[in-house]
Amino acid sequence: MKTLLLASLLIFGLAGCASQPETHSMSERQNLRVDPEVSYAMTVTELFDQRLAQPGGDSLLQVQFAVEARSDAELAWTVIWFDDNGMVVKSVGEGYRKATLLTGQVRYFDATAPHARATSYQLHLREPK
Amino acid sequence: MLIRALAISVGLAVVAGCAAPARYIDPAADDGPVAMTMDYRDFEKAATDAVEDMLASGAVNNPDGSRYIMVVSRVTNDTMQRIDTDQLTKKIRVSLLQSGKVVTTTAVGLNGAEDEMNMKARELRDSEEFDQSGVMRKGTLQAPDLSLSGKILQRNHKVGKEQQVEYYIQLSLTDLESGLAIWEGETPIIKRGPDSSVSW
Repeated sequence: MKTLLLASLLIFGLAGCASQPETHSMSERQNLRVDPEVSYAMTVTELFDQRLAQPGGDSLLQVQFAVEARSDAELAWTVIWFDDNGMVVKSVGEGYRKATLLTGQVRYFDATAPHARATSYQLHLREPK
Repeated sequence: MLIRALAISVGLAVVAGCAAPARYIDPAADDGPVAMTMDYRDFEKAATDAVEDMLASGAVNNPDGSRYIMVVSRVTNDTMQRIDTDQLTKKIRVSLLQSGKVVTTTAVGLNGAEDEMNMKARELRDSEEFDQSGVMRKGTLQAPDLSLSGKILQRNHKVGKEQQVEYYIQLSLTDLESGLAIWEGETPIIKRGPDSSVSW
């Protein structure tokens, strides 16, 4: 019994000593970044995120946002995914997705994380040139 | 004669000086002009749409927790352009592999194995020249569970003084055990531009 207790303590001790990669954020990362040029023409009215449960037991982060246009406008957007340590999780594509909005139109967009290890994100909205 | 040659040289030098120099384009920040033909941005959009939808739908989640094995079947190019459909399927394969949910076999293909080395390496069996402990045993290749197939369509229309080119990228993921398409997707890519633009 004593041996078992000692072994358990040793295992817990070793697990506690296992070094996690150290990451430091230079500044607080915002989930939503909207360029000023976009703000003139439209407003982000909703931003939701949820974890989609998968049959294997893990889950995927999913983001949905809504944009309402005050005038006809073009929009480019992308979602960057991060893991627990703040490292970028590679997505399928690197480019911005383009969308067109008509005056008064509300459009909903969504994106799904490429891997279950993505735990946070940053949505960037900009005006395509 | 000398004056004419000099004038032509100066003219050529000026034209060459005005032409944009060759430069690299960063796919992550490319706001360049849109071509009427399909370019890398169109394939990227189609692959992103397909992979995100596959992941979100749960179609590529093996209930036993292991990775599905996928084979790439035929993706028909029904456009007026010469397209290597691997440009699309490779992106999908890479992303599914990175997702940890699907691995693609290169040992099976419609026109034979994608990587013929799968069988060539097995021809070393019983060769006295090779250490047999490293030669692949019989029955180690894995059969695919899923098949990715599809079609890329093109339709051209005249719209006023412009032309409209529509591309439809259609993909299906078939469960090879049941023959049922467990996921299907279509990404339309519509472009409108000068009638003089060429879309092939």
